[in-house]
Amino acid sequence: MNASGPDVLAILPELLLTGGALVLALSEVFLRGERRGYQPVVAGVVSALAFASFAANASEPARALFGGFAAQDGLAIFGGATVCVGLFLTVLVGAGFLRVRAAERGEFYALLLLSAAGMCLLLRATDLLLVFVAIELMSVPTYALATYLRTGQRPAEAAFKYFLLGAFSSALFLYGAALCYGATGQTSLRGIAAAGGGPLLVAGLAFLLAGLGFKVAAVPFHMWTPDVYEGSPTPVTTFMSVGVKTAAFVAMLRILVTAFGGTGLAGTVAWGPVVQALAVLTMAIGNLFALTQRSVKRMLAYSSVAHAGYLLVAVAAAANGAVRAEATQGLLFYLAAYTLTAAGAFGAVAMLERRSGASAQPWDLDQFAGLARRRPWAAAATAMLLLSLAGIPPSAGFVGKLLVLRAAVDAGLVPLAVVAVLTSVVGLYYYLRVVVYLYMQPPAEAQEIPVHSWATDAALLATAVAVLAVGIGPGLLSDAATAGAKLFGG
Amino acid sequence: MIGAPHFLVVAALLFGLGLLGVLVRRNALVVFMSIELMLNAANLTFLAFARFPVRGRPSLDGHAIAFFVVAVAAAEASVGLAVVIAAFRSRGSINVDELRALRN
Repeated sequence: MNASGPDVLAILPELLLTGGALVLALSEVFLRGERRGYQPVVAGVVSALAFASFAANASEPARALFGGFAAQDGLAIFGGATVCVGLFLTVLVGAGFLRVRAAERGEFYALLLLSAAGMCLLLRATDLLLVFVAIELMSVPTYALATYLRTGQRPAEAAFKYFLLGAFSSALFLYGAALCYGATGQTSLRGIAAAGGGPLLVAGLAFLLAGLGFKVAAVPFHMWTPDVYEGSPTPVTTFMSVGVKTAAFVAMLRILVTAFGGTGLAGTVAWGPVVQALAVLTMAIGNLFALTQRSVKRMLAYSSVAHAGYLLVAVAAAANGAVRAEATQGLLFYLAAYTLTAAGAFGAVAMLERRSGASAQPWDLDQFAGLARRRPWAAAATAMLLLSLAGIPPSAGFVGKLLVLRAAVDAGLVPLAVVAVLTSVVGLYYYLRVVVYLYMQPPAEAQEIPVHSWATDAALLATAVAVLAVGIGPGLLSDAATAGAKLFGG
Repeated sequence: MIGAPHFLVVAALLFGLGLLGVLVRRNALVVFMSIELMLNAANLTFLAFARFPVRGRPSLDGHAIAFFVVAVAAAEASVGLAVVIAAFRSRGSINVDELRALRN
């Protein structure tokens, strides 16, 4: 393996993110002043720079990096740009959230940037070893972030569960990788595709899928999701739901398509039906459990499980070689749309969160009641984001669902598409219930008035406008997703 | 002659024990140790396949991967134990079943 100059240049976004993380971590040590307003600015600028360096490479032809360990292709670039947008929005949400709670620290942003660097690496990893290392680089900082606010029992408990299940899923993934290595003598995805199959490889794929299933929160590997999402500080939840989901789904697609989707012996492993079953379960369970939640944050956690189900539909459609490009485009578009929407929705949760910590329900629906009277713009933006999550036109979420369902129908998975439509009808109820509280309920007695933070407001308004704009004119984003659907060696 | 099957069976047993430990044991530290057992089982599998490959010649890939895994597991353990300490400070217990501040 030799690292040539162009290869190092290709991972410039990862280097920028890592460098930014080091600067922030060191600034916390050496600049002892109380003024920490520069930290979110540094983190925001670094994520914008990383986004720009992804965008600058958008027209490059796909190629292998570092002797086949990684790739520079559409998937890596589109996914990386999405992660950077999610990171930027998380920084905006976090800046407001931490200032209100007087908990600004450099390590918060440093850990965010490090985790984002891991995500960008995971997006381009084409070797099971690099996939494993990148998953860990992505996850270990998020374990620490989940326990960032150490007051109260919830964050500690959330981090605890996240860590144990995350480490468990990594171990499953690694054992799967070991079995694949044994069956084929290869760890690179293309090497596995070219080598033979056999029962050992099937067992390996099963473990790989289980490990990735935990990361993307697919049923039956979703048990941690509601607890961890609810207990973690809201900006961290934002980051988990947008960044981790994007990176893990792209990695899952890349592994399945590149290593097990070819025409070689490994390509004969029929993973499509397994992913279909996971998708049905995930859509059904996620939507049904979200119905009964009064805590908006927990509702959004189950909604994130449900959205993982729709994304799995796209992955299942990608099993069919003829519609693979279409399914990949749908997946990428959906991920980008979900990143914008979920970041905004969790931003709204962060804005309205009750700050007196002893309360049993800091994210109760009552906190959302009557927001339209006090802050009409924030209420309108939140309503727009919820409509996008529900998949109502004109919104980015609607176009994303449309693309995914089209790919599923073209792949001949009509029953799966029907289940997706039916479960999203169930979803309407719990999303619209929040809108009803926003507009038609009087403010509750025990309500806390949210503190005004321009950063959180900016994130909320920007995502709402972007979601609406993409919903009305999806051309630009869908063209980018089409360009992104070109896998290296896929 | 000791060959690949011996190592693979030991690794599979270790992995199974780890899996069982994660699912059955309630003490967080024991659960964490079980996870480490699973990681080491995967390492042993990598090494066995590198030394006695099913097809092709012995390669050093598996050996190199084992080093990566050891390094990553150390990083994970350092963060993980800190998280366990944070949980212990707030709850006074590291029993997995007693963590129930977050429920439906």
